[in-house]
Amino acid sequence: MTAPITLSIKNLTVTYKAARGLVRAVRDVSFDLHRGECIALIGESGSGKTTLGLSLVRLHVRAANIAAGSLIYHPKQGEPYDVLKLSHEHLRRFRWKECAMVFQGAQNAMNPLLTIGTQFLDTASDHDWHNPREVAQRGMELLRLVQLDPKRVWESYPHQLSGGMRQRVLIALGLLLQPQILILDEPTTALDILTQRAIIDVLRDLRKQLDFSMILVSHDLSLAAELADRVATMYAGKLVEMAKVDDAFYRARHPYTLGLVKSVPTISAKIEDLRSIGGSPPDLIQLPPGCKFHPRCTFATERCRQTEPPVEVVDALHEVMCHEWRNVINPVTV
Amino acid sequence: MLIKSYVLRRIIKAVFTIFLITSLVFFIVRLMPGNPVDIYISQLMIEESMSYTQALDQAAALFQLDFNKPVVLQYVEYLGNLLQGNLGQSFRSKGTPAADIIFKYLPWTLFCVGSGLVFSFVIGLLLGMVAGFKRNSPLDIGISSLAALIGAIPNYLIAIMFIVVMGSVLNILPFAKIRGSLSPGVQPEFSLNFVQDVLFHAWVPILIYVLSTVGNWVLLMKSSTTSTLEEDFVTVARARGLKERRILTQYVGRNAMLPLITQLAISIGFVVAGSFAIETLFVYQGVGALLLQSIQARDYPVVQGIVLIITVTVVTANLLVDLLYSRLDPRIRVR
Amino acid sequence: MLHNLQNSLRTISRNPVGLIGLIGLVFFILMSFVGPYLIPFNDEPRMDRIYQSPSWQHIMGTDHLGRDNAVQIVHGGREVMIVAFTAGLISLVIATLVGGLSAFLGGRFDTVAMTLADVVLTVPRIIVLTMIAGLIKFTNPLALAPLIGMLTWPTLARGIRAQILSLRERDYVEASRVLGMSTAHIVFVEMLPNMMGYILTGLILAMTAAIYEQIVLIFLGLVPLSGTNWGLMLNFAYNRGAIFQKDSVYYILAPTLAIVLFQLTMVSFARALEEIFNPRLRTQA
Repeated sequence: MTAPITLSIKNLTVTYKAARGLVRAVRDVSFDLHRGECIALIGESGSGKTTLGLSLVRLHVRAANIAAGSLIYHPKQGEPYDVLKLSHEHLRRFRWKECAMVFQGAQNAMNPLLTIGTQFLDTASDHDWHNPREVAQRGMELLRLVQLDPKRVWESYPHQLSGGMRQRVLIALGLLLQPQILILDEPTTALDILTQRAIIDVLRDLRKQLDFSMILVSHDLSLAAELADRVATMYAGKLVEMAKVDDAFYRARHPYTLGLVKSVPTISAKIEDLRSIGGSPPDLIQLPPGCKFHPRCTFATERCRQTEPPVEVVDALHEVMCHEWRNVINPVTV
Repeated sequence: MLIKSYVLRRIIKAVFTIFLITSLVFFIVRLMPGNPVDIYISQLMIEESMSYTQALDQAAALFQLDFNKPVVLQYVEYLGNLLQGNLGQSFRSKGTPAADIIFKYLPWTLFCVGSGLVFSFVIGLLLGMVAGFKRNSPLDIGISSLAALIGAIPNYLIAIMFIVVMGSVLNILPFAKIRGSLSPGVQPEFSLNFVQDVLFHAWVPILIYVLSTVGNWVLLMKSSTTSTLEEDFVTVARARGLKERRILTQYVGRNAMLPLITQLAISIGFVVAGSFAIETLFVYQGVGALLLQSIQARDYPVVQGIVLIITVTVVTANLLVDLLYSRLDPRIRVR
Repeated sequence: MLHNLQNSLRTISRNPVGLIGLIGLVFFILMSFVGPYLIPFNDEPRMDRIYQSPSWQHIMGTDHLGRDNAVQIVHGGREVMIVAFTAGLISLVIATLVGGLSAFLGGRFDTVAMTLADVVLTVPRIIVLTMIAGLIKFTNPLALAPLIGMLTWPTLARGIRAQILSLRERDYVEASRVLGMSTAHIVFVEMLPNMMGYILTGLILAMTAAIYEQIVLIFLGLVPLSGTNWGLMLNFAYNRGAIFQKDSVYYILAPTLAIVLFQLTMVSFARALEEIFNPRLRTQA
């Protein structure tokens, strides 16, 4: 991993106020995203992965608050800066131009009253790209790249497109301004299996042709396996394991990652190997002491119940937050 | 192709509605027990000691009906007359076609009601949007409570309170002069004097129309804005780094406005109905006041004509609003 | 049922506007239906105290015949409320029948009923009422109720139809159907409770419309001027030129305030009901 760093997330903590108390959705998360790299954020719902994704463009819900940390962004030219310290206007310019986000359930992501073309044009225009012909040319090129009929889609209204088409339109729109980072939040959920396949292929091809980094937020491990270079496992708002994609799937060192991997059916594995993780995600307002995963962990010891594990280095590109990581082995591959 | 069929369907529906109401009015006037024709005939027989045939002839002339023909034929003839703009003769001003009288009064109502509606809609839209954006702020609470307060007060009571407070208690406005639609001696012409006089008489009724309807627009727009703000496409628009002004107008405003446009069609009828009490209160010479005068004078051809013309106005306005809506919302065009 | 009522009362007491509405409503009903027995109305003209300003003796002043305005307000509410309630109820019954049948039968009935609703909605109600009131000379203001009711149903009918159609698509209704529950069970146990809020709110809004219309008709003199009611007070006060004479201001203000406050009470109560029965609104508030 010699590519330069694009985004450096340091000690990011996001909390929001709920009726019962303070919800700690993201706790002290740090990692670096390199140029051209794809990191998959995986975890159950409520693990904080979507909140983390949204907070990278500071779009978390209004009640939420980035309590601590920094998001150092390294533009292609110029000095690095902290996204969290940007003014309103600078933040607006940062969004989509530097870091675009394709949302979960993009069915309703486009303004129903404007044609797709208009929405490409207004996005460009608000980022000081005032040449409609150029924008249209580039926009249609991207639409072709995501395997849509450019002319027809350009003139369509969102309701005239199917769910999968809209998802692909949003991906094309995301790449219009050639951002360095593309965040994809569950880009294939709620789509049929063929459309999922198409979108995965499109994303893979696009990455080959256009140079951008990706953060893929998903609970779908097969998607992560196909697209990601590295896998980051989130649990109870913490980043509990960060590993190269092969390590994550075959040599996971955190029991939770292992559990997630084991709960995915594969062609080679026998059905009796398929296992779900017992218990349910913890209450984010009243977190258990020690390792947050210990109530559901088969490897848990007394130490796990007492103290939260520090980040331990397995090897240069593999970090894990688990006291017992040396004992964790994947029975599937052994 | 699809657009055309939608427009066509709407026009057919509008014509059908007008036809249905016209027919209902005909049968009410002609056939209901104690209908105006019978009453008029007996009135003529008693008050002017006419014979039944004489009275019948005169009634026939006034209502433009031929009682010797079967009712169905009378009905067909009546429709034919209507198509030619013939609404019968007024009782009160003998020898004057009812249509002439009505069209003398109609422009005043259209002017007042129309401007009241436009002002009210625009003001309500803006205030409602502000309240929606600044939800739960003191500004929102102020705007919303005020809107809920005046929205609940019937228009004629707003008018009465306005007259009482501004006229007799504070003595700020000379209502004795404001009454009517023109000052004595002023003739319709293209002059500043005329326009000034029209506005001098019209601004209070217009204000009352605005006050009595603006509250509902505000509340409607606020709730529509609030729910639009929660739509995904607004969040995505923010993520796209669009300028705030564009998001407010093109994304939130345009979408939030749609439900209000549908309401606009309904409220046209309400405001026209409101003119009935308001014009009477301000002695404003519009169709609302004319309707009351004609009913009290039992001038049925005029009453009938007013009901028809109001129906046509409301149906046409509805049609225009619907067509406007289909222009604004691409989703309608396809259906 | 009792539990539901308790819950409703608790929710309404947490909603200040609704609470004011509820208290106001109870106050107006008690005033109009019990008040007249406690405070007798002396009909006799007293020329020595015409158009008096409010005082301890006459808290809202006196009218053109020297009668107490406040006492007339107490006596003048009953008729207005009975007409409003009857009209509201009639419109509710028609609306439920038409809306319900439209939703369940669909097809031709639905088309005809909804076209009819559209037509009735098109002509401004007050114009039709005026026309009919001019044709039939009413002998009793109460006769207005069925007439108003027959013209007020379309909005509510459309709403009820839409509610049923959307409720039918909900999972739990679908589930009961799959489980083989009877139609009656689905309608009365699964759907009706969910529509109660809408129906009650619709009833109250129909009542406010009925108040508006009957008072306009009485005020404009299209209904016989007899008995005591707020519309009549308004008519007398207005026609005695009260609004242009400073000393008679209280005479016209008394019924104006009574009607305004009653309408406000009803509308706030309706808004609160909407919130009680619509949990989505409740959590947002």
